[in-house]
Amino acid sequence: MKRTSKEQPTDLGRRRFLGRSGIAVAGIGIISSGLLTPAAWAASAVGEHASATLLRMARDIYPHDTLENKYYAAVLTPLARKAGKDMALKKMLAEGVKALDQRSQQLFSRNFLELEHESDRVLVLRAIEESPFFQRIKGDLMMGIYNNPELWPRFGYGGSAWQKGGYINRGYDKIDWL
Amino acid sequence: MNTKFDLNDDSLVVIVGSGAGGGTLANELAQKGIKSVVLEAGKRFKLDDIENDEWKMFGKISWLDKRYLEGPARLAKDFPNLPAWIVKGVGGATMHWAGVAMRFQEHEFRMRTENGTVPGANVLDWPITLKELDPYYYKAEQKMGVCGTEATGMPFHGKSSHYKVIEEGARRIGAKCEQATLAINTQIRDGRPSCQVNGFCMQGCRIGAKWSTMYTEIPRAEATGLVEVRPQSMALRIEHDKQGNVTGVLYADKDGNQHFQKARLVSVAANSIESPRLLLNSASPMFPDGLANGSGQVGQNYMTHTTAGVYGEFEQPVHMYKSTVVPGIVHEWKDNDPSRGHVAGYELEVLHLGLPFMSAFLNPGKSGWGRELADSLANYDRMAGFWICGEDMPVESNNITLHPTEKDQYGLPVPVVYKTDHINDTRMRNHAYDRSTELLEAVGAKKVNYLPPYPASHNMGTNRMSRHARDGVVNRWGQSHEIQNLFISDGSQFTTSGTENPTLTIVALAIRQADYIADQMKRGNL
Ligand SMILES: Cc1cc2nc3c(=O)[nH]c(=O)nc-3n(C[C@H](O)[C@H](O)[C@H](O)COP(=O)(O)OP(=O)(O)OC[C@H]3O[C@@H](n4cnc5c(N)ncnc54)[C@H](O)[C@@H]3O)c2cc1C
Ligand code: SF4
Repeated sequence: MKRTSKEQPTDLGRRRFLGRSGIAVAGIGIISSGLLTPAAWAASAVGEHASATLLRMARDIYPHDTLENKYYAAVLTPLARKAGKDMALKKMLAEGVKALDQRSQQLFSRNFLELEHESDRVLVLRAIEESPFFQRIKGDLMMGIYNNPELWPRFGYGGSAWQKGGYINRGYDKIDWL
Repeated sequence: MNTKFDLNDDSLVVIVGSGAGGGTLANELAQKGIKSVVLEAGKRFKLDDIENDEWKMFGKISWLDKRYLEGPARLAKDFPNLPAWIVKGVGGATMHWAGVAMRFQEHEFRMRTENGTVPGANVLDWPITLKELDPYYYKAEQKMGVCGTEATGMPFHGKSSHYKVIEEGARRIGAKCEQATLAINTQIRDGRPSCQVNGFCMQGCRIGAKWSTMYTEIPRAEATGLVEVRPQSMALRIEHDKQGNVTGVLYADKDGNQHFQKARLVSVAANSIESPRLLLNSASPMFPDGLANGSGQVGQNYMTHTTAGVYGEFEQPVHMYKSTVVPGIVHEWKDNDPSRGHVAGYELEVLHLGLPFMSAFLNPGKSGWGRELADSLANYDRMAGFWICGEDMPVESNNITLHPTEKDQYGLPVPVVYKTDHINDTRMRNHAYDRSTELLEAVGAKKVNYLPPYPASHNMGTNRMSRHARDGVVNRWGQSHEIQNLFISDGSQFTTSGTENPTLTIVALAIRQADYIADQMKRGNL
């Protein structure tokens, strides 16, 4: 992916981003500290621990290190909001996080958030990947990351073209490295 | 024109489905003065409804009624309720199609003779030859506006960056590669504009440069005043009289009200899952196994082509999406050469997906996530690759059956699709994976991804054509062996799948069938 963001990870760590939904989200500090601030994106709906766990999980499902947290949070926030009104969903998220920690405890005697190595976290996630909880997060993320027009330029994808007259006069035949 | 026919008018042809087969047949018959009603389950869309957005269009026009996919193939695990990617709407799958239009090769009409018995497969020769179909292919190419053919004289599209990468790879390994003959205008022609390379052919062509019955055959048929298209009209059952001739079609309108449209002749063109389903749902005391099913072949021999995707990742940008969806074809392995370890041939069709669909198909299913996948998607603009499209074997147990208990919103048993590889399909796909990898690496691919098959866009064979009534459902004209005023007019009449994409052949067969029907009517036989 093209790295268009000028910020360095250390800057990111101090910064806060506004998610698309307008809810304040913590920055990349989560990666080092393993915990989100009290202003965490969805803490009010699912609790601070769960929201931090979900964000970590989201970044491990489709890891793009140069993508800011706000893009992942923008997927999770509406989900958590919905869970505020949808008891079944709330239960799925709460129990999903619990099951994730249980697995993590079984394998590494620590909660998921405390696993420093991506490979360890992946092992835990692989163990629960069949669950409706995991599949729900994965499905929403796929749409939120790869079907997000805001992000398409970062992936080098053009999106809708007809309104610009297509590519017939905009370089459909250009390639200079063959 | 807003022609309306009476439900009791029994002088009409009733056509079920308005896609490649049904839409073409309606127009061809109308041009000869023959009246018809087209029952179409889906809505009527306008060009304005077409957006350059993969998921939006998928959600808007796909056939999403409940279906089951069964069998040990990975597809059934990844997409248990989506065996096929096709359309519910006026125009059928010609809205989604990529426009690739190729004629069958001569030997593909007689694969049984070519290869003898293939164990585990139900291969049969077609009751027609290429020579008989050639003049109709020519007419189909003219009608659809296929570029790069003698029939239209329209030039090819010009080489896109995606095409150039593959062409160079093919050159380096000595494989034959050409620009694709597409039913997409490269000049203003037939009242439609020239392609402006939006790159969303498979979402519907917003400007109408690509042929689709939605804005060609259907409005032309309606303009004669001899055709009434009834959208949101789902055919439920075909009825027959004591002599065993069909008398009309029972259908449900958009409010669920049922009507019976009388008919002189019924043509079924609902694509290869719904067509046999309709015949099976029309079982009666006289035809207990379903209409036209004396051979037991209705719903059997379901074919989808042997498919898969292959995408290489390069160091430099390709931006494959700036292209017609299929700019070219590698033809090297389309012949029937059993020394490769498999019978029948395949094409490597240069084809792009947008980022949203690439993320869904690169590694579909529950375990498709993680850093390797994300890293590949991060290289989206440096990808180039193919969709493999090869002849698959007709296998009786690959079939469409009716669910014993579950019903859909119309009260009809839900279709159950069983599809899995014949060993020849697996061998062919592996051969294609290997050759594609060689080609992509020859031009510098650092990593090559193998995509498993995705829901079938090509669906064929479930009401197949045969010389003898015992082997198939319809004769050389697509006419039921058993019921002389019942015709099949879509891809389900294919005896074998051929290597080529099906639509040009479906259209050629529909033009030919219209000639036959008109002639038989004149002689008083229908
Ligand atoms: C993404 C995609 C890309 C493709 N690309 C190509 C390509 O490049 N080249 C090629 O040759 N082919 C391509 N195809 C395949 C091509 O679209 C089909 O082969 C062709 O449209 C099939 O024609 P048909 O008449 O059999 O069915 P369809 O065109 O699918 O028409 C069937 C119609 O019947 C209607 N129907 C179904 N059941 C009922 C019922 N009970 N009552 C009333 N109406 C009913 C459906 O709503 C539909 O409109 C592609 C398909 C897809 C999806
Ligand atoms: S590339 Fe051409 S045919 Fe395809 S959608 Fe665009 S304009 Fe239409």
